[in-house]
Amino acid sequence: MSISVPCRTSSAYFCSYHNVPGIVTDKAMGTQLKYVAGALPLKMHVLKKQVISGRSSSSNINALSNILASANGSAVLDGPQKAVKSSETALILIRHGESLWNEKNLFTGCVDVPLSQRGVEEAIEAGRRISNIPIDMIYTSALIRAQMTAMLAMTKHRKKKVPVIAHNEDERSIKWSKIFSDQTSSEVIPVVTSWQLNERMYGELQGLNKKETAKKYGKQKVHEWRRSYDIPPPNGENLAMCAERAVAYFEEEIEPQLLAGKNILIAAHGNSLRSIIMHLDKLTSQEVIDLELATGIPMLYIAKDGKILRRGSPTCPRTVSVYAFSNDLADYRQQLESDEE
Amino acid sequence: MSALISNVVPSSGFCMYDRGFSSTYDSGVGVIPNSTFNAHALRINSSKASETSIFHFFRKNKINLNSVTCAKSSSAPDEPKKSPKSSETALILIRHGESLWNQKNLFTGCVDVPLSRRGVDEAIEAGRRISNIPIDMIYTSSLIRAQMTAMLAMTKHRKKKVPIVVHKEDDRSIAWSRIFSEQTSSEVIPVVTAWQLNERMYGELQGLNKKETAEKYGKKKVHEWRRSYDIPPPNGESLAMCAERAVAYFKDQIEPQLLAGKNILIAAHGNSLRSIIMHLDKLTSQEVIDLELSTGIPMLYIAKGGKISRRGSPTCPRTVGVYAYTSNLARYRELLENMEE
Repeated sequence: MSISVPCRTSSAYFCSYHNVPGIVTDKAMGTQLKYVAGALPLKMHVLKKQVISGRSSSSNINALSNILASANGSAVLDGPQKAVKSSETALILIRHGESLWNEKNLFTGCVDVPLSQRGVEEAIEAGRRISNIPIDMIYTSALIRAQMTAMLAMTKHRKKKVPVIAHNEDERSIKWSKIFSDQTSSEVIPVVTSWQLNERMYGELQGLNKKETAKKYGKQKVHEWRRSYDIPPPNGENLAMCAERAVAYFEEEIEPQLLAGKNILIAAHGNSLRSIIMHLDKLTSQEVIDLELATGIPMLYIAKDGKILRRGSPTCPRTVSVYAFSNDLADYRQQLESDEE
Repeated sequence: MSALISNVVPSSGFCMYDRGFSSTYDSGVGVIPNSTFNAHALRINSSKASETSIFHFFRKNKINLNSVTCAKSSSAPDEPKKSPKSSETALILIRHGESLWNQKNLFTGCVDVPLSRRGVDEAIEAGRRISNIPIDMIYTSSLIRAQMTAMLAMTKHRKKKVPIVVHKEDDRSIAWSRIFSEQTSSEVIPVVTAWQLNERMYGELQGLNKKETAEKYGKKKVHEWRRSYDIPPPNGESLAMCAERAVAYFKDQIEPQLLAGKNILIAAHGNSLRSIIMHLDKLTSQEVIDLELSTGIPMLYIAKGGKISRRGSPTCPRTVGVYAYTSNLARYRELLENMEE
């Protein structure tokens, strides 16, 4: 049927996609539903509890929710043992929010600065938005602000699984972190931390005040370092180098899991996530420079039949609107809601 | 030098311990928490003739103290450069709050489970209580729930210094975390993560449900493992073993810093902190078994003249009460308040 797709990134992105639906308004239905039509072989559902554009229900919506209700029986969704009965998996990207050095306007890079009060709130808000999307594995960087973002977001998650950080630095940590119950292990969401997902390393600018640096090196040079694709700050990484290690890690470790049926959350940083988005959306280096990923707003991708397609940003559950869900995710959400009743 | 304190109504019983430790203090600062009375006797003796002593006398009934006046120090030090002009340093211990497995009643041990929503709130509350105590270094365990507790608590801290996690795992992480500004480096609170401060490793009970374990092994055995000093669970640590590595670390790494003049925060776990308290307060193994450290309530120690003495738990700033402060910390707090005006 129809869904409006809320997307927090620049709208230019939707225009450049061939295989992402456009948005058309259909007045003939008598409600102000928006159609999403396109090449995607997915039907999108309107959830029965949602109110669309002020009208509480139409016969179309009721019919759909009946379809959903009957579909629930076949799709066993909540049990930790079974994945969503489809070939579809979710990939969520979350960029962490404000850190204590963001507050002070210092170049951070790979210095391990934690979140500020506001960054904590952004993480929790992000968690509300993804609370209904199944997650089987979490990947973060080695920096605490991304890890905290993931963990704070997961405090809001509706599923009963619990994220547990995997430790394999040495023999002792492997031995000490063992879980001795199968039941418990099956309810674990492994959290993998890796430096390859770290923020771009900013070399000799790390810790410097942005204004001072502009005075010292000149505004133009600083702008080059910050906004070019291949000019690194002194002894630092350029975006190309950051992309190389982040995308390599994604292709080796994350993509296989995703395509094998695991729903994945990646909590990382502006530059490492842009690199991954560049890879997924096949952006040019000029396009990726212009890409700004909003902090704390999750970005959803769906992997299906070997392709990974962007779906937009799930809105806050309290907003009266419709998620950018596929019908399987919609089924899943229904399942969660009926379980809780 | 003096501080203006007006309309201070003493609170009752701010010490979270149920034993009369204060009677063992002989360093000139006596704190007598008394839950049966509504008042404390707080006497501060300064050994320096040049310092003004602040005496607060409370009788059995509540007294409104509104005429103790002190003038501000004329040489108001800006915090990052100077610690309070005394040989006194603060040691704060915070036990992390509820984790996601606490919620599910599972034995956690060294499995790296994050905080629940409630644990997040407890950490922030703990942060409010220590917001006025200077901190120069932070030590945590290698488990995320303790690290998050420290970082969340520090979002509430009044000083301008910023906690930064120290990375020394390999050459790359050392190179990547370098800070290139002296000014910024001087405003850093290094955060050291150490597995020696981890929770007691619970061996084959990790991940097991507490009820199931009682059914499987028998209530008595489980009680032994949980509450004895030297009986470890299968392939796990006894409290004695946990104490050995935690106290060794404390003596090697933390105590020297403390006695050299650094104010320190340790965010860790029930058993590692009990071990440290056992060492500091010279408890017997029977006493340490009976010791329960509240979650999320900071415990303050003052190191002075080579001795480390317990001072109790700072109350929430919003409570009208008297901190278990020394005169120096009280002055420091005044300073912070004056700077914010």
